[in-house]
Amino acid sequence: MKGKKLSILSLLAVSAMILSSCSSSDDASGVKIEVPDIPMHEEMGDFEGELNIVNWAGFVDPKWTDKFEADTGCKVKPRVAGTSDEMVTLMRTGQYDIVSASGDAALRLIVGGDVQPLNVDLIPNFGDEIATGMRNNIYDTVNGKPYGVPIGRGANLLQYNDDVTKGAPASWDVVWETNSPYKGKITAYDAPIYIADAAVYLMYHKPELGIKNPYALDKTQLDAAIALLKQQNTIVGEYWSDAVAQITSFVGGNTVVGTSWEILRKFAAKPNIKTTLPKEGSTGWYDSWLVSSKTKNVNCAYAWMDYTSTASVNGAIAVNFGMAPANIAYCSSSPTAQAHCDEFAAEDEEFFKKIWPWTTPIETCVDGRKDVKCTSFQEWTNAWLTVKG
Amino acid sequence: MSTTITKAGNRPLSAYLYKRAKLRLFSLLALPMFWIVGVYILSLFLLLVTAFWFVDPFTSKVIVGFTLDNFVSIFTVPAYISTSIRTLLIALAVTGLSVLFAVPLGIYMAKIAKPWVRNALAVAITLPLWAGYLVKIIAMRLVFTEEGFFNWALAPFGLSGPTFSIPIVILTLTYLWFPYMALPVFTAIRQIPPNLFDASSDMGAKGFTTIYRVVMPLIVPAIIAGSVFTFSLSLGDYLAAKFTGGSTQMIGSIIAANINLNPPVAAAFSMVPIAFVVIYLMVARRTGSLERM
Amino acid sequence: MSTGFVSLRGVNKYFNEVHAVANLDLDVKAGEFFSMLGPSGSGKTTVLRLIAGFENASSGRVVIESQDVTDLAPFDRPVNTVFQDYALFPHMSIQDNVEYGLRTRKVPKAERAKQALEAIDSVKLSHLSQRLPHQLSGGQRQRIALARALVLRPKVLLLDEPLGALDKQLREEMQVELKRIQREAGITFIFVTHDQEEAMRMSDRIAVFNEGSIEQIGTPQEVYEKPQTKFVASFLGVSNIFDGAAAKEIFGSSTMVNIRPERIKLVPADTKLNTGESGVVGTIIEASYIGATTIYLIQTQSGQRVIATRLNEELPDQINRYETGDRVGAVWKSDHSAVIPT
Repeated sequence: MKGKKLSILSLLAVSAMILSSCSSSDDASGVKIEVPDIPMHEEMGDFEGELNIVNWAGFVDPKWTDKFEADTGCKVKPRVAGTSDEMVTLMRTGQYDIVSASGDAALRLIVGGDVQPLNVDLIPNFGDEIATGMRNNIYDTVNGKPYGVPIGRGANLLQYNDDVTKGAPASWDVVWETNSPYKGKITAYDAPIYIADAAVYLMYHKPELGIKNPYALDKTQLDAAIALLKQQNTIVGEYWSDAVAQITSFVGGNTVVGTSWEILRKFAAKPNIKTTLPKEGSTGWYDSWLVSSKTKNVNCAYAWMDYTSTASVNGAIAVNFGMAPANIAYCSSSPTAQAHCDEFAAEDEEFFKKIWPWTTPIETCVDGRKDVKCTSFQEWTNAWLTVKG
Repeated sequence: MSTTITKAGNRPLSAYLYKRAKLRLFSLLALPMFWIVGVYILSLFLLLVTAFWFVDPFTSKVIVGFTLDNFVSIFTVPAYISTSIRTLLIALAVTGLSVLFAVPLGIYMAKIAKPWVRNALAVAITLPLWAGYLVKIIAMRLVFTEEGFFNWALAPFGLSGPTFSIPIVILTLTYLWFPYMALPVFTAIRQIPPNLFDASSDMGAKGFTTIYRVVMPLIVPAIIAGSVFTFSLSLGDYLAAKFTGGSTQMIGSIIAANINLNPPVAAAFSMVPIAFVVIYLMVARRTGSLERM
Repeated sequence: MSTGFVSLRGVNKYFNEVHAVANLDLDVKAGEFFSMLGPSGSGKTTVLRLIAGFENASSGRVVIESQDVTDLAPFDRPVNTVFQDYALFPHMSIQDNVEYGLRTRKVPKAERAKQALEAIDSVKLSHLSQRLPHQLSGGQRQRIALARALVLRPKVLLLDEPLGALDKQLREEMQVELKRIQREAGITFIFVTHDQEEAMRMSDRIAVFNEGSIEQIGTPQEVYEKPQTKFVASFLGVSNIFDGAAAKEIFGSSTMVNIRPERIKLVPADTKLNTGESGVVGTIIEASYIGATTIYLIQTQSGQRVIATRLNEELPDQINRYETGDRVGAVWKSDHSAVIPT
C-alpha cells in the first residue's frame, strides 16, 4: 500500500512503510474469523544461529542488532520491503522467519496461514508497558489468539500550509468537498487503503449509512466511499505514495492541504507546514512482529521479539523510523525520549482513540455484523482503480 | 611440368565449419535464439498465462485456474477503458511532439549547422540518456512545481505555468524519449542527398513544402523506428504520471498498483500496450513504410 | 553598361577562407548555349549555383533579364537546374517528379498531368511514367531530369555536368539531343562541364575557368585557335608552347607562341624551310600509333619537346613513316602559330 521508496533517503524508507492494523477495542472480541489451525511454540529451545527478517527500512539497525547477535548467537539477515504487498509476497515464499507487518498485511497473513499464533509466556518483555491502544487489536489478536508483538504506530494527519489556510482546518471537508477553497491544491494518499479515510469522513457526516468501522464496509457503504473519492478526484491536485514527492509538493506550494504523517511534516522542516487531527478522527498505521508458520528459526524469532520489546530497543526503533513506540516505558527513560513520545503522542490514548488503525478488509465484517458480507481488500483494490479513471 | 598439390594450413575447425552451412548458421544464431525464445518469448508467454488466473478474495493468494474475467474487465470497467484510451492518446501525443521537434532539428543539424555545432547538438540530445530515468522525471517535477522554474519565469508577465496534469506528463515523456526519435531522424535526414533540397527549391518549393513533400516521405522509416520507442515506452510508463501527472492515471499505474495485489489483472492489463503496439506496427506495415526500414 | 540576358557583376564568393569566385563579370546572351569549362575546383559550379540561388554571393550582383535577383531565393528565380546526379525524388514516380514544380505553382491537377506527360513524351519515356527513379537507367533518369526542368518553361536552364555520369556513347547521343532541345525551345542554356570536347561540340560560347576567375570567353574556335592565356592553350586540346629562349631561337622574339600538333608536318631533317614556314629539328623519342592518328614526340637539341599529330590517311605500310630515333624536321606554316598575350 505504500509507494515505492527511493533508497537514497532515509525518509523514503519512511514512506515505504505503512502499517495497518485493525482497530480493536470492543469490536475484536465479538468477531469470529476463520483461520487455519497452526500450533504455537510451546517452549524455548536452543538458538538456531540465524534470523531472516522482512522489515521496513529503519527497523533493523546494527545499533541494536549487534548486541542481539552477541547475546543469542542468532545472525540477523534483514530484507527491506517497500510495500505491505511486497511483504506479503516475501513472507509467502517461506524463506523468512519474521516480519514487521502493518495491520493491512498482518490480517492477510493470519487468515492465509502464513504466520503462527504466539505464546506470550515466552516473551517476558511483552508486558504491561505496551500502550493500551496497541493491545488486542484485530490485526494481531484473532479469535482470542495473539499473533503479533506491537512495535509502534502513527496517525494519518491533515497537513496544511498555514500561510494559506491561516489556522488549522477543523474538518477533513477541505479535502473532500468540491467547494473546498484549496481545490486543485489537495493531495490524497495513493493506495486502496485510503478508501478507509473516505469511510471515516462518511461515518461522521452520513451516519445514515451505518458505518461502524471503516474497514467493515458492505457493498453499499463501499459504493458511497468510492463516490466520495470520485468527487474528490475532481479537486485533487496530486495523489502521493512517494514521501519525497509529497514533501516537495507541500514545500513547493503545489499542495496546500492533504493527508500526511507526522514524520513527513518533520522532514518538510518549514514552520508554516503543520499537521492537525480534524474532528472526524482519522486512520493510522500500527506495526507488529509476526512469525512465519514455516520458520526454522523459531527460538531466534522469539528472542528477537522479546529483545525488541524492551523499552530501550523499542524506543530506538521508534526514534529511528519516526513513530510512537509501543513500549511507553521508553518515554520516561530520558528527557529526549519524553520529547519524542510527546511529539508522536505515544502516551496520548485520547488522541489514538480517534485513530482507526489500518486493517485488511476481509469478507467477515470486523465490526461484528453477521447479516451481510463485507467487501474484501480485493474489491477495494479494484474499486480504487476506478476512482482515478 | 608437374606440380604437387599440398593441403593448405592446418585449421580443422574452420575447415569443418566451412563445409557445413547449417552448423555455421546454428553457431551464429544460438545466443540470439536463446535470448529471443528462451527469455523473451517465454516470459511473455508466462505473463499471458498468468492473465487467466485469479486471486482468492479472502487470502489474496493467486489461484492457478482459468478465467476470462481479467480480460473482460479491461473492456467493461469504464475506468479501465478510459485509462486505456487516455494512455493511447498520451503516447500518440508524445510521438507527435517528438516528430515535431525532431524533424526541424534534424534538418538543421544535418544540412545547415557547422560541424562543431552539429557535434554539440548531438551531445546535447544524447546527454539526457546518461542521466537516470527517475532523476529526469524528478527534474521535470521540480521545474513545474508551484515555486519552480516556469512559474518563476512567467511571473513577470502575470502568468502562471501549468500544474501537474496530462500536458506535463506528455512533456515529461517527450523529454524522456526524444533522443530515441531525434537520432534516427537526424541520421535519415543526413542521408538525403543535399541536391534534393536544392532541386525542390529550384522548382519553386518553399521550406515547408520541401519538408512536407520531400523530407517527410523519405524519413518515414526513421520516424517509424523512432516512434516504436516513443510510442511503446510511453504506453508502458507510469512513473511520469505518478510524479508529474497530478491525478493522471495510465495503464502502467494500473499494472503497478496490481502487480502485488492482483497479478492476474496486472498481467491482463500488460497485454493492452502490447496490443496497441502490434496494431500500430500493422498499420505502419500496411502503409508500406516498414519495407524501406 | 550593357548587360546580357544573364549578367554577373563583380561577384565574389568565399567559403570560409577559400576564395571560390574572384571578382567575376559574366554576360550570357539570350538564347545562347553557353558553357562554363574548367578543371574541378575552378569555380564554374559555384557560379552556376550563384545564378540558381543555391549560394549567396559574398559581394556583387546577379541579374537575370534585367531583374536583380541577387537577394532572391531559388524558388523566386526564373531559372531551373538539371543536376549532375539528376536529383530525382526517389519516393515519387517519374510523373510525380515531373509534376513537382507544376504542383508548387498550383497548376490544376488535370493540367499539370497533361503538361508532365507531354514533357515525358518529348524525351521519349512515356512508357516509364509510373516507374520509380531507381527502376530507370542513368540515361533515362537524365532525360527525366531534363523533362522535369523544361516542363516549367524556364527562361534560363542551368545544367551542372548533366552528362558526367553517362558512358561515352550515351553521352554523345545526349549531346545531340540537348542541342536540339535548346534550339527548338529557344531557351538560354548555361552548361557546366570539365570536358573540353563536349563544350566545344555544343556551345555557342565558352567561358574557360581557372582558380575562381574566367581566363577567356569566346566561341569554340576563338578559344582554341586564339587562346589568350597559357592556361587556356593547354587546357583546350594539346599545345606546343614556346617561350623564352626557345621562342627567341625560332621566332626571333621571346613572346609566347603556341602551335597545335595537328598543324605540324614531319620532314627529313635536312629539308629546307619554304617561305612562310617555321620549324625545328629534333629526334623522335616516341611514336604512338592510335588508329586515326600517330602521335610523335620530338626532342630538339636544346631539350624542347614538340608533339606532332599526323593523320593516318593511308594504310600504315603505304605511307612514309618515321620511327623512334629518326632525326626529323618539325615544320609548320608561320601563320598557324598563335601568339599568347599573357
